[in-house]
Amino acid sequence: MNDYSITILTFIAIQAIVACGLNVIVGYAGQISLGHAAFFGIGAYASALLTTKGGLTFWTALPLVILLTGAIGLVLGMPSLRLREDFLAVTTIGINFIVESVFLYVPFFGGALGLGGIPSITLLGTRLRGPNFLYLCLVFLAAVLFISRRFTRSWGGLACFALREEETAASSMGVSPIRFKLLAFVLGTAMAGLGGALYAHLMRFISATDFGFTLSVSMMSMVVLGGIGTLWGPVLGALILGVLPEVFRPLIDYRMLLNAAILLLMIRFQPAGLLGEGSLLRRLFRRPGRDSAHE
Amino acid sequence: MQLFFEQLLNGVAMGAIYSLITLGLALVYGVMRILHVAHAAVYTAGAYVGLYVFTMTGSLLLAVPAAMAACALLGTAIERLIYTPLLKYPPFVPLIGSIAVFLALEEIFRLVGGPYILSFPAEFPFPGITVRGVVISPAIISIYAVSAAVLLLLWFVVTKTELGLAMRATSQDREIAGAMGINSSFTISMTFVLGSAVAAVAGILVGIYFNQVYPTMGAVPAYKCLALIVVGGLGSLPGAVLASLLLGVGETLLIGYANIPLPRDSLAFIAMIAVLLWRPQGLLGNR
Amino acid sequence: MNDLLLRLEGVSRHFGGLKAVDDVSFSLTRGEILGLIGPNGAGKTTCFNLISGVYAPTKGDIVLEGVSTAGFPPYRMAALGVGRTFQVVKPFSTLSVLNNVQVALGLKRYGGVLSSLGPWDTKASRKEALEILEEVGIGHLAASPSGQLPLGNQRRLELARALALKPKLLLLDETFSGLRHEEAALLSKLVLGVRARGISVLLIEHNMKVAMGLSDRLVVLDHGRLLAEGKPEEIRSDPRVVEAYLGKGASAHAS
Repeated sequence: MNDYSITILTFIAIQAIVACGLNVIVGYAGQISLGHAAFFGIGAYASALLTTKGGLTFWTALPLVILLTGAIGLVLGMPSLRLREDFLAVTTIGINFIVESVFLYVPFFGGALGLGGIPSITLLGTRLRGPNFLYLCLVFLAAVLFISRRFTRSWGGLACFALREEETAASSMGVSPIRFKLLAFVLGTAMAGLGGALYAHLMRFISATDFGFTLSVSMMSMVVLGGIGTLWGPVLGALILGVLPEVFRPLIDYRMLLNAAILLLMIRFQPAGLLGEGSLLRRLFRRPGRDSAHE
Repeated sequence: MQLFFEQLLNGVAMGAIYSLITLGLALVYGVMRILHVAHAAVYTAGAYVGLYVFTMTGSLLLAVPAAMAACALLGTAIERLIYTPLLKYPPFVPLIGSIAVFLALEEIFRLVGGPYILSFPAEFPFPGITVRGVVISPAIISIYAVSAAVLLLLWFVVTKTELGLAMRATSQDREIAGAMGINSSFTISMTFVLGSAVAAVAGILVGIYFNQVYPTMGAVPAYKCLALIVVGGLGSLPGAVLASLLLGVGETLLIGYANIPLPRDSLAFIAMIAVLLWRPQGLLGNR
Repeated sequence: MNDLLLRLEGVSRHFGGLKAVDDVSFSLTRGEILGLIGPNGAGKTTCFNLISGVYAPTKGDIVLEGVSTAGFPPYRMAALGVGRTFQVVKPFSTLSVLNNVQVALGLKRYGGVLSSLGPWDTKASRKEALEILEEVGIGHLAASPSGQLPLGNQRRLELARALALKPKLLLLDETFSGLRHEEAALLSKLVLGVRARGISVLLIEHNMKVAMGLSDRLVVLDHGRLLAEGKPEEIRSDPRVVEAYLGKGASAHAS
């Protein structure tokens, strides 16, 4: 594999991590979030600042970054998740625009110039580059998938499924709506924070426009394309949307149109996504007698 | 003081234009409970069609109805082909569908109309006015006159006509309205016709006012106007107008005077979050 | 009396100008089956929503085991021992019937974030859920998606979920409607069995025969107000109740 393909794959792995986080919020808990890129950005800026101005290494900063992103998720989620669905959608869009402009206009965050000089990641004394950085991302992706799976198998995950299907009934069964929506929101935003940290140290230079609303929409596209609420859907979605532009390089001018058209056709004709319940792909490869009660 | 009044006039003009776009969203939300992001693409289409017909014929009197008709068609097509089949799913499904339509249309505008800014060189057949040193440009006069006329017309349709009654009944409860003999599918389509035609007018007004028509001119209104219908109270038409006017004036004055380090486009969202914390049902919404 | 379980004290709930429940008081003892009856729109389901915490009362108090619970959210009421079914069934549609019941089995786990991190799909929870499903007679449907069941079975699933909460007070909102005769007989037996375990039952029922047959006492609501209260035979012969159900309608027809 050449350097270029490795870079592409590294991006895909990072986006898959972030999309998995979005899937926890949208897929498992049924809470629409169209501002996920904001938390990706918060993770990236936090790690960039802690390692450049704070003097920490990537590894010492990482737990703080994940905690901080999750904590900001908690603070922003607390009022938002009390709102009606439609309000929540618009509020999360708003959060994205506001966070982006804070990065862009507050000098502490580097303003329009962004933040540079972010150190690369070293492990056991060697700088991680190329394939090694990809492996690191894949390890984190595996960890994120493992945690997602554990979450779907925990009582908290079940509570989220119940809330997603029928909030009043779930509440009458002892599930506090706000507590478990927040749990999913914090978990999902923390994953976005992890992805952001990896992104910052891969690029070594970040600016506010990397984390705009468009990115939130592509994150959502990945989740929808792969299959909302499935374990592997976000990974598949990230892979397809990441590889597609490379395959259709000759059609570069139509790339955005193609992305939008895929999302539109998908949501119109197969809203459960490629791996969702009752999808074309599933029906093709159905294994008889297999219980798919969860995941 | 002179500057202040000029700013104020500009602010109200912006607010009037916002309200023309936002009303379409509020109408659609009312009858369908869908956040119609693609409405901003309809508005952009209005500007392009208007500009095209104007360039061909040189007549605004032809351009405006042509754009209104084209947008009405586009809006209804979006409703029929995308929204109606998706109504049975949870609300985020049609919302994502709407965003996808919006992005696809933006790309089509770019591919067809070119990625650059086109100018809309319409001249108004009357001069501006100067009142005590405050200059009121013909564009501002037109915006005021046209939006007032459109708002009055909309108010008349919604409150005085059978269609308006059907729209209000459908907003209350689609099933009951259906049971009362209201053809809700026709009502919904007419709502899109109405909202989209008004968006076309807004598109042309903005095109002329800023002398700019470009593919992504809908990007900011697409989401800002969502914030506005939330601030106004989802589905409340007077609320939508009030929120739009307040934002237009607020943006213009705050950016003009107070030197806020944030761009004007996030003001709508900050206002929205403030309003939601203080009054979760919106300015004029009821629970 | 120490075996008093639930007391409504002058409870009202207004929606705008509408007084859905207006100054209603009644009480329920441990192990009692109380029927809540009344014409459509009498405020029965609103009463349930008040007791189970879906709505907070506009006025008055709801006391469960000596604790004032007015304004408590549903999940706290569930934790305090109130289990309910919904008249308009609310299954967790994409989850299987078995998983639906397992949701309710997690009641104790939902109290804190840490306790909710344990695995839910264990052998023990599956077994327990299956037993409850068999008790209500839909054990054979455990693996089906709950959203696709016919209404009668969805009502039984509602009951199974409420039972899985191991409640002290069971609220049944028209659980018997839409059931065939023999199904209803089975559930009646089940309700009596539940009461024998010391669980109190408050039930809304349109079928008078079922309501009269099952209940120790009846409370009659009309236009949000308490109309009458007493043993089934007293209620049956109460002229006010007869009028509320038939009288005005009948006299209107006659004139």
